[in-house]
Amino acid sequence: MESNKRRSFLRSIINKLSLKGALMLGSVLLLLVVVSLILRWIDKSNSLYIEENKRIDLTPTLIKSIEEIGEWEFLQLTDEELVDTIKHGFFGDSRLVRIYYGTLRLGFNLHEAGPGWLKQDKDTLRLMLPPIRLLDKDFIDEARTKAFYESGSWTEADKQALYDRAYKLMMQRCVTTANIQTARRNACLQMESMMRSMGFGAVKATFAQPER
Amino acid sequence: MQNNFFYYLCSILTTLFMKRIGLLYMVLLLVFSLSGCKGKREEQTQKAFDTIPMLVNEIQKCSRLYTVEYKIHKIITHDDRKTIKGSLFNKAFSLDIPMSKRMVAIPMDATIKGYIDFYSFSSKNVKRTGNKIEITLPDPRITMTATKIDHNHVKQFVNFMRSDFTDAELSDFERQGRAQIIHDISQTDILENARLGAAKVLIPLLRQAGYNEKDITISFRNNLQSGDIPTLIDKTNEHGK
Repeated sequence: MESNKRRSFLRSIINKLSLKGALMLGSVLLLLVVVSLILRWIDKSNSLYIEENKRIDLTPTLIKSIEEIGEWEFLQLTDEELVDTIKHGFFGDSRLVRIYYGTLRLGFNLHEAGPGWLKQDKDTLRLMLPPIRLLDKDFIDEARTKAFYESGSWTEADKQALYDRAYKLMMQRCVTTANIQTARRNACLQMESMMRSMGFGAVKATFAQPER
Repeated sequence: MQNNFFYYLCSILTTLFMKRIGLLYMVLLLVFSLSGCKGKREEQTQKAFDTIPMLVNEIQKCSRLYTVEYKIHKIITHDDRKTIKGSLFNKAFSLDIPMSKRMVAIPMDATIKGYIDFYSFSSKNVKRTGNKIEITLPDPRITMTATKIDHNHVKQFVNFMRSDFTDAELSDFERQGRAQIIHDISQTDILENARLGAAKVLIPLLRQAGYNEKDITISFRNNLQSGDIPTLIDKTNEHGK
Protein backbone atom coordinates (compact mmCIF):
# COMPACT_ATOMS: atom_id res chain seq x y z
CA MET A 1 0.00 0.00 0.00
CA GLU A 2 2.84 2.37 1.00
CA SER A 3 5.02 1.42 -2.01
CA ASN A 4 2.13 2.02 -4.41
CA LYS A 5 1.71 5.50 -2.98
CA ARG A 6 5.43 6.30 -3.35
CA ARG A 7 5.50 5.04 -6.97
CA SER A 8 2.52 7.12 -7.94
CA PHE A 9 4.16 10.19 -6.32
CA LEU A 10 7.39 9.73 -8.34
CA ARG A 11 5.40 9.09 -11.51
CA SER A 12 3.47 12.32 -10.99
CA ILE A 13 6.76 14.30 -10.64
CA ILE A 14 8.25 12.74 -13.81
CA ASN A 15 5.08 13.46 -15.70
CA LYS A 16 5.19 17.08 -14.58
CA LEU A 17 8.83 17.53 -15.75
CA SER A 18 9.19 18.81 -19.27
CA LEU A 19 12.22 17.90 -21.45
CA LYS A 20 13.72 21.29 -20.72
CA GLY A 21 13.41 20.74 -16.97
CA ALA A 22 14.97 17.30 -17.21
CA LEU A 23 17.92 18.72 -19.14
CA MET A 24 18.32 21.46 -16.53
CA LEU A 25 18.31 18.94 -13.70
CA GLY A 26 20.82 16.73 -15.53
CA SER A 27 23.19 19.63 -16.22
CA VAL A 28 23.02 20.75 -12.55
CA LEU A 29 23.90 17.22 -11.41
CA LEU A 30 26.75 17.06 -13.95
CA LEU A 31 28.05 20.45 -12.73
CA LEU A 32 28.00 19.22 -9.13
CA VAL A 33 30.01 16.13 -10.05
CA VAL A 34 32.57 18.23 -12.01
CA VAL A 35 32.93 20.78 -9.18
CA SER A 36 33.43 18.04 -6.58
CA LEU A 37 36.10 16.38 -8.75
CA ILE A 38 37.93 19.71 -9.22
CA LEU A 39 37.81 20.40 -5.47
CA ARG A 40 39.20 16.96 -4.75
CA TRP A 41 42.06 17.50 -7.22
CA ILE A 42 42.86 20.92 -5.72
CA ASP A 43 42.91 19.41 -2.23
CA LYS A 44 45.33 16.71 -3.37
CA SER A 45 47.69 18.94 -5.36
CA ASN A 46 47.84 21.85 -2.91
CA SER A 47 49.30 22.00 0.56
CA LEU A 48 50.61 24.68 2.90
CA TYR A 49 52.63 24.38 6.13
CA ILE A 50 55.27 26.22 8.14
CA GLU A 51 58.58 24.41 8.53
CA GLU A 52 60.98 25.00 11.43
CA ASN A 53 64.49 23.57 11.59
CA LYS A 54 65.10 21.57 14.79
CA ARG A 55 68.46 20.03 13.83
CA ILE A 56 71.91 21.42 14.54
CA ASP A 57 74.38 22.15 11.74
CA LEU A 58 77.22 19.78 10.93
CA THR A 59 80.34 21.35 12.47
CA PRO A 60 83.86 19.97 12.88
CA THR A 61 84.83 18.10 16.03
CA LEU A 62 88.31 19.20 17.09
CA ILE A 63 90.74 17.17 19.20
CA LYS A 64 92.36 19.63 21.61
CA SER A 65 94.73 17.13 23.24
CA ILE A 66 95.60 13.45 23.48
CA GLU A 67 97.17 12.26 26.71
CA GLU A 68 98.38 8.88 27.88
CA ILE A 69 97.06 8.22 31.35
CA GLY A 70 97.20 5.40 33.86
CA GLU A 71 94.08 5.84 35.95
CA TRP A 72 92.72 2.76 37.66
CA GLU A 73 89.07 3.07 38.63
CA PHE A 74 87.58 0.95 41.42
CA LEU A 75 84.32 2.67 42.30
CA GLN A 76 81.92 4.42 39.98
CA LEU A 77 79.15 6.62 41.33
CA THR A 78 76.41 7.69 38.96
CA ASP A 79 74.54 10.68 40.27
CA GLU A 80 71.72 12.97 39.18
CA GLU A 81 70.78 16.22 40.81
CA LEU A 82 67.61 18.22 40.45
CA VAL A 83 68.54 21.85 40.95
CA ASP A 84 66.24 24.83 40.68
CA THR A 85 66.35 28.56 41.10
CA ILE A 86 63.69 31.24 41.56
CA LYS A 87 63.78 34.92 40.67
CA HIS A 88 61.15 37.19 42.22
CA GLY A 89 59.97 39.90 39.89
CA PHE A 90 57.35 42.61 39.61
CA PHE A 91 55.10 40.61 37.26
CA GLY A 92 55.55 37.29 39.03
CA ASP A 93 58.22 34.74 39.84
CA SER A 94 60.52 33.14 37.28
CA ARG A 95 61.66 29.59 37.81
CA LEU A 96 64.26 27.35 36.21
CA VAL A 97 64.58 23.65 37.05
CA ARG A 98 67.28 21.45 35.51
CA ILE A 99 68.44 17.88 36.09
CA TYR A 100 72.19 17.30 35.88
CA TYR A 101 73.83 13.91 35.33
CA GLY A 102 77.31 13.02 36.46
CA THR A 103 79.57 10.02 36.99
CA LEU A 104 82.24 10.26 39.67
CA ARG A 105 85.12 7.84 39.42
CA LEU A 106 87.20 6.87 42.43
CA GLY A 107 90.54 5.18 41.98
CA PHE A 108 94.25 5.86 41.82
CA ASN A 109 96.64 7.24 39.28
CA LEU A 110 99.55 4.91 38.56
CA HIS A 111 101.69 7.93 37.71
CA GLU A 112 101.47 8.85 41.40
CA ALA A 113 102.86 5.50 42.51
CA GLY A 114 106.16 5.83 44.35
CA PRO A 115 109.37 4.07 43.29
CA GLY A 116 109.33 0.41 44.23
CA TRP A 117 105.56 0.39 44.76
CA LEU A 118 105.55 -3.18 43.47
CA LYS A 119 108.23 -5.54 44.75
CA GLN A 120 108.89 -9.18 45.47
CA ASP A 121 109.43 -9.77 49.17
CA LYS A 122 110.54 -13.39 49.58
CA ASP A 123 107.58 -15.42 48.28
CA THR A 124 105.09 -12.54 48.49
CA LEU A 125 104.48 -9.85 45.89
CA ARG A 126 103.82 -6.59 47.75
CA LEU A 127 101.96 -3.67 46.18
CA MET A 128 102.04 -0.23 47.80
CA LEU A 129 99.14 1.51 46.07
CA PRO A 130 98.87 5.29 45.56
CA PRO A 131 96.04 7.09 47.41
CA ILE A 132 92.46 6.77 46.26
CA ARG A 133 91.03 10.01 44.92
CA LEU A 134 88.54 11.43 42.47
CA LEU A 135 90.10 10.56 39.12
CA ASP A 136 88.65 13.42 37.09
CA LYS A 137 87.45 16.77 38.35
CA ASP A 138 85.18 17.10 35.31
CA PHE A 139 82.47 14.55 35.93
CA ILE A 140 79.21 16.24 34.93
CA ASP A 141 77.85 15.34 31.51
CA GLU A 142 76.32 18.77 30.97
CA ALA A 143 75.21 18.04 27.42
CA ARG A 144 72.83 15.44 28.87
CA THR A 145 71.23 17.97 31.20
CA LYS A 146 67.46 17.83 31.16
CA ALA A 147 65.60 21.12 31.03
CA PHE A 148 62.76 20.22 33.36
CA TYR A 149 60.90 23.50 33.78
CA GLU A 150 61.41 27.10 32.71
CA SER A 151 59.38 30.23 33.23
CA GLY A 152 60.67 33.73 32.65
CA SER A 153 63.97 34.58 31.01
CA TRP A 154 67.32 33.21 32.16
CA THR A 155 70.88 34.05 31.27
CA GLU A 156 73.85 31.77 30.65
CA ALA A 157 75.32 33.06 33.94
CA ASP A 158 72.26 31.67 35.77
CA LYS A 159 72.82 28.28 34.14
CA GLN A 160 76.51 28.35 35.11
CA ALA A 161 75.44 29.04 38.72
CA LEU A 162 73.11 26.03 38.60
CA TYR A 163 75.93 23.88 37.20
CA ASP A 164 78.24 24.97 40.02
CA ARG A 165 75.57 24.12 42.56
CA ALA A 166 74.97 20.67 41.05
CA TYR A 167 78.75 20.10 41.06
CA LYS A 168 79.02 20.87 44.77
CA LEU A 169 76.03 18.65 45.59
CA MET A 170 77.50 15.71 43.68
CA MET A 171 80.86 16.14 45.39
CA GLN A 172 79.21 16.26 48.82
CA ARG A 173 77.11 13.19 48.20
CA CYS A 174 79.61 10.99 46.41
CA VAL A 175 83.14 11.79 47.58
CA THR A 176 82.58 10.59 51.12
CA THR A 177 84.88 8.75 53.51
CA ALA A 178 82.66 5.67 53.26
CA ASN A 179 82.89 5.60 49.46
CA ILE A 180 86.66 6.15 49.51
CA GLN A 181 87.02 3.23 51.93
CA THR A 182 84.86 1.03 49.68
CA ALA A 183 87.08 1.98 46.74
CA ARG A 184 90.22 1.18 48.78
CA ARG A 185 88.93 -2.26 49.74
CA ASN A 186 87.90 -3.01 46.16
CA ALA A 187 91.27 -1.76 44.87
CA CYS A 188 93.15 -4.19 47.14
CA LEU A 189 90.86 -7.07 46.14
CA GLN A 190 91.07 -6.36 42.40
CA MET A 191 94.83 -5.80 42.29
CA GLU A 192 95.54 -8.94 44.31
CA SER A 193 93.17 -10.95 42.11
CA MET A 194 94.74 -9.61 38.91
CA MET A 195 98.29 -10.37 40.05
CA ARG A 196 97.27 -13.86 41.18
CA SER A 197 95.72 -14.43 37.72
CA MET A 198 99.14 -13.53 36.29
CA GLY A 199 100.69 -16.40 38.21
CA PHE A 200 101.92 -14.78 41.42
CA GLY A 201 101.01 -17.03 44.34
CA ALA A 202 101.03 -14.76 47.37
CA VAL A 203 100.06 -11.13 46.75
CA LYS A 204 99.52 -8.41 49.34
CA ALA A 205 98.18 -4.99 48.31
CA THR A 206 98.17 -2.11 50.80
CA PHE A 207 97.99 1.65 50.73
CA ALA A 208 100.79 3.96 51.80
CA GLN A 209 98.28 6.07 53.71
CA PRO A 210 96.36 4.23 56.46
CA GLU A 211 92.58 3.91 56.26
CA ARG A 212 90.81 6.80 58.03
CA MET B 1 21.62 56.15 20.36
CA GLN B 2 23.36 56.73 23.74
CA ASN B 3 20.25 55.63 25.57
CA ASN B 4 20.28 52.40 23.61
CA PHE B 5 23.94 51.82 24.48
CA PHE B 6 23.32 52.30 28.21
CA TYR B 7 20.33 50.04 28.02
CA TYR B 8 22.42 47.23 26.49
CA LEU B 9 25.27 47.79 28.94
CA CYS B 10 22.94 47.65 31.92
CA SER B 11 21.25 44.53 30.63
CA ILE B 12 24.63 42.76 30.07
CA LEU B 13 25.87 43.70 33.55
CA THR B 14 22.64 42.51 35.10
CA THR B 15 22.90 39.20 33.27
CA LEU B 16 26.51 38.74 34.38
CA PHE B 17 25.65 39.44 37.98
CA MET B 18 22.69 37.12 37.75
CA LYS B 19 25.07 34.36 36.69
CA ARG B 20 27.58 35.36 39.40
CA ILE B 21 30.26 35.85 36.78
CA GLY B 22 30.36 39.55 37.54
CA LEU B 23 31.23 38.73 41.12
CA LEU B 24 34.17 36.64 39.93
CA TYR B 25 35.42 39.49 37.73
CA MET B 26 35.14 41.88 40.66
CA VAL B 27 37.21 39.54 42.86
CA LEU B 28 39.84 39.13 40.15
CA LEU B 29 40.01 42.92 39.68
CA LEU B 30 40.47 43.40 43.42
CA VAL B 31 43.26 40.80 43.58
CA PHE B 32 45.00 42.34 40.57
CA SER B 33 44.85 45.85 42.03
CA LEU B 34 46.15 44.60 45.39
CA SER B 35 49.07 42.82 43.75
CA GLY B 36 49.83 46.01 41.86
CA CYS B 37 49.95 47.96 45.14
CA LYS B 38 52.31 45.37 46.63
CA GLY B 39 54.58 45.61 43.62
CA LYS B 40 54.80 49.38 44.04
CA ARG B 41 55.74 49.11 47.69
CA GLU B 42 58.44 46.41 47.25
CA GLU B 43 61.54 46.85 45.19
CA GLN B 44 62.10 44.37 42.38
CA THR B 45 64.48 41.69 43.54
CA GLN B 46 66.80 39.62 41.34
CA LYS B 47 68.19 37.48 44.14
CA ALA B 48 67.97 33.80 43.24
CA PHE B 49 67.89 30.88 45.64
CA ASP B 50 67.71 27.15 45.19
CA THR B 51 65.29 24.61 46.58
CA ILE B 52 64.29 20.95 46.19
CA PRO B 53 67.52 19.01 46.18
CA MET B 54 67.01 15.44 45.00
CA LEU B 55 69.33 12.55 44.46
CA VAL B 56 69.30 9.19 42.82
CA ASN B 57 72.68 7.54 42.65
CA GLU B 58 74.14 4.23 41.72
CA ILE B 59 77.32 2.74 43.11
CA GLN B 60 79.21 0.21 41.06
CA LYS B 61 82.40 -1.62 41.97
CA CYS B 62 84.71 -2.01 39.01
CA SER B 63 88.28 -2.39 37.87
CA ARG B 64 89.02 -0.28 34.84
CA LEU B 65 92.35 0.91 33.60
CA TYR B 66 91.97 4.21 31.71
CA THR B 67 94.91 4.50 29.37
CA VAL B 68 94.16 7.39 27.03
CA GLU B 69 92.30 10.67 27.31
CA TYR B 70 91.04 12.81 24.43
CA LYS B 71 89.94 16.40 25.04
CA ILE B 72 87.43 17.41 22.39
CA HIS B 73 86.12 20.84 21.46
CA LYS B 74 83.07 21.53 19.35
CA ILE B 75 80.99 24.55 18.54
CA ILE B 76 77.37 23.54 18.13
CA THR B 77 75.54 25.85 15.76
CA HIS B 78 71.89 26.06 14.90
CA ASP B 79 70.34 28.23 12.21
CA ASP B 80 66.61 28.51 12.54
CA ARG B 81 64.43 30.31 10.03
CA LYS B 82 60.71 29.73 9.56
CA THR B 83 59.78 28.75 6.03
CA ILE B 84 56.40 28.48 4.41
CA LYS B 85 56.41 25.35 2.33
CA GLY B 86 53.77 23.75 0.26
CA SER B 87 52.58 22.93 -3.22
CA LEU B 88 50.20 24.70 -5.55
CA PHE B 89 48.74 22.67 -8.40
CA ASN B 90 51.43 20.03 -7.89
CA LYS B 91 54.21 22.63 -7.99
CA ALA B 92 56.29 22.78 -4.78
CA PHE B 93 57.32 26.14 -3.37
CA SER B 94 59.31 27.38 -0.40
CA LEU B 95 59.28 30.89 1.01
CA ASP B 96 61.39 32.20 3.90
CA ILE B 97 59.34 34.26 6.33
CA PRO B 98 61.08 37.62 6.69
CA MET B 99 62.43 38.58 10.12
CA SER B 100 62.09 35.02 11.43
CA LYS B 101 65.78 34.19 11.79
CA ARG B 102 67.28 32.84 14.99
CA MET B 103 70.85 31.62 15.45
CA VAL B 104 72.79 30.14 18.31
CA ALA B 105 76.39 28.98 18.79
CA ILE B 106 77.23 26.82 21.81
CA PRO B 107 80.90 26.01 22.50
CA MET B 108 81.27 22.64 24.18
CA ASP B 109 84.19 20.64 25.59
CA ALA B 110 84.11 16.90 26.05
CA THR B 111 86.43 14.35 27.66
CA ILE B 112 86.61 10.89 26.13
CA LYS B 113 88.67 8.10 27.61
CA GLY B 114 89.72 4.69 26.42
CA TYR B 115 89.95 1.92 29.01
CA ILE B 116 90.46 -1.79 29.55
CA ASP B 117 87.95 -3.53 31.79
CA PHE B 118 89.79 -5.83 34.19
CA TYR B 119 86.70 -6.85 36.13
CA SER B 120 86.43 -10.18 34.33
CA PHE B 121 90.20 -10.63 33.95
CA SER B 122 91.29 -14.13 35.02
CA SER B 123 93.99 -16.74 34.55
CA LYS B 124 92.33 -17.56 31.20
CA ASN B 125 93.82 -14.31 29.88
CA VAL B 126 97.35 -15.33 30.89
CA LYS B 127 99.67 -17.85 29.28
CA ARG B 128 103.00 -18.66 30.97
CA THR B 129 105.73 -20.71 29.40
CA GLY B 130 108.94 -20.82 31.40
CA ASN B 131 110.08 -17.25 31.97
CA LYS B 132 107.76 -15.89 29.31
CA ILE B 133 104.33 -14.40 29.96
CA GLU B 134 101.67 -13.58 27.39
CA ILE B 135 98.63 -11.56 28.43
CA THR B 136 95.61 -11.29 26.17
CA LEU B 137 93.62 -8.25 27.20
CA PRO B 138 89.90 -7.69 26.66
CA ASP B 139 88.88 -5.25 23.92
CA PRO B 140 89.44 -1.64 24.88
CA ARG B 141 86.30 0.40 25.42
CA ILE B 142 85.54 4.07 25.00
CA THR B 143 83.50 6.29 27.28
CA MET B 144 82.56 9.94 27.38
CA THR B 145 83.37 10.93 30.96
CA ALA B 146 82.32 14.58 30.91
CA THR B 147 80.92 17.39 28.79
CA LYS B 148 81.00 21.08 29.66
CA ILE B 149 79.21 23.99 28.05
CA ASP B 150 81.21 27.21 27.88
CA HIS B 151 78.37 29.42 29.11
CA ASN B 152 80.48 32.59 28.91
CA HIS B 153 80.81 32.27 25.15
CA VAL B 154 77.35 31.12 24.10
CA LYS B 155 76.06 33.52 21.43
CA GLN B 156 72.43 33.97 20.46
CA PHE B 157 70.99 36.13 17.68
CA VAL B 158 67.22 36.30 17.77
CA ASN B 159 65.09 38.52 15.54
CA PHE B 160 62.72 40.74 17.46
CA MET B 161 59.77 38.96 15.81
CA ARG B 162 60.83 35.62 17.33
CA SER B 163 60.85 34.33 20.88
CA ASP B 164 64.15 33.52 22.61
CA PHE B 165 65.51 29.98 22.58
CA THR B 166 64.05 28.05 25.49
CA ASP B 167 66.16 26.00 27.87
CA ALA B 168 64.55 22.85 26.44
CA GLU B 169 65.55 23.81 22.88
CA LEU B 170 69.14 24.60 23.88
CA SER B 171 69.41 21.34 25.85
CA ASP B 172 68.20 19.46 22.79
CA PHE B 173 70.91 21.09 20.62
CA GLU B 174 73.53 20.19 23.23
CA ARG B 175 72.36 16.57 23.22
CA GLN B 176 72.60 16.52 19.42
CA GLY B 177 76.14 17.94 19.62
CA ARG B 178 77.09 15.26 22.13
CA ALA B 179 75.78 12.57 19.76
CA GLN B 180 77.82 14.10 16.90
CA ILE B 181 81.01 13.89 19.01
CA ILE B 182 80.33 10.22 19.83
CA HIS B 183 79.78 9.58 16.14
CA ASP B 184 82.98 11.41 15.13
CA ILE B 185 85.16 9.66 17.73
CA SER B 186 84.94 6.45 15.72
CA GLN B 187 87.00 8.18 13.02
CA THR B 188 89.95 8.75 15.37
CA ASP B 189 92.72 6.38 16.46
CA ILE B 190 91.53 6.28 20.09
CA LEU B 191 91.16 2.50 20.08
CA GLU B 192 94.73 1.94 18.94
CA ASN B 193 96.02 4.51 21.44
CA ALA B 194 94.05 2.82 24.24
CA ARG B 195 95.72 -0.51 23.40
CA LEU B 196 99.18 1.07 23.25
CA GLY B 197 98.52 2.86 26.55
CA ALA B 198 97.53 -0.40 28.21
CA ALA B 199 100.78 -2.03 27.11
CA LYS B 200 102.75 0.99 28.38
CA VAL B 201 101.16 0.60 31.82
CA LEU B 202 101.36 -3.18 32.12
CA ILE B 203 104.89 -3.79 30.81
CA PRO B 204 106.60 -1.66 33.54
CA LEU B 205 104.31 -3.30 36.10
CA LEU B 206 105.37 -6.80 35.07
CA ARG B 207 109.00 -5.70 34.82
CA GLN B 208 108.88 -4.56 38.44
CA ALA B 209 107.33 -7.90 39.33
CA GLY B 210 110.44 -9.66 38.04
CA TYR B 211 109.89 -10.33 34.32
CA ASN B 212 112.33 -9.30 31.62
CA GLU B 213 110.85 -6.90 29.07
CA LYS B 214 111.65 -9.25 26.19
CA ASP B 215 109.67 -12.04 27.88
CA ILE B 216 106.47 -9.98 28.14
CA THR B 217 103.83 -10.06 25.40
CA ILE B 218 100.65 -8.03 25.61
CA SER B 219 98.15 -8.94 22.93
CA PHE B 220 94.60 -8.07 21.97
CA ARG B 221 91.94 -9.60 19.79
CA ASN B 222 93.40 -9.50 16.27
CA ASN B 223 90.25 -9.15 14.25
CA LEU B 224 89.27 -5.87 15.88
CA GLN B 225 88.30 -3.43 13.13
CA SER B 226 87.67 0.30 13.21
CA GLY B 227 84.08 -0.55 12.34
CA ASP B 228 83.79 -2.18 15.75
CA ILE B 229 84.28 1.15 17.52
CA PRO B 230 80.58 2.02 17.76
CA THR B 231 79.99 -1.23 19.65
CA LEU B 232 82.84 -0.43 22.02
CA ILE B 233 81.51 2.99 23.06
CA ASP B 234 79.74 2.94 26.41
CA LYS B 235 76.08 3.78 26.13
CA THR B 236 74.68 6.14 28.72
CA ASN B 237 71.15 5.72 29.92
CA GLU B 238 69.16 8.68 28.71
CA HIS B 239 66.81 9.25 31.59
CA GLY B 240 63.17 9.50 30.65
CA LYS B 241 63.85 8.17 27.15
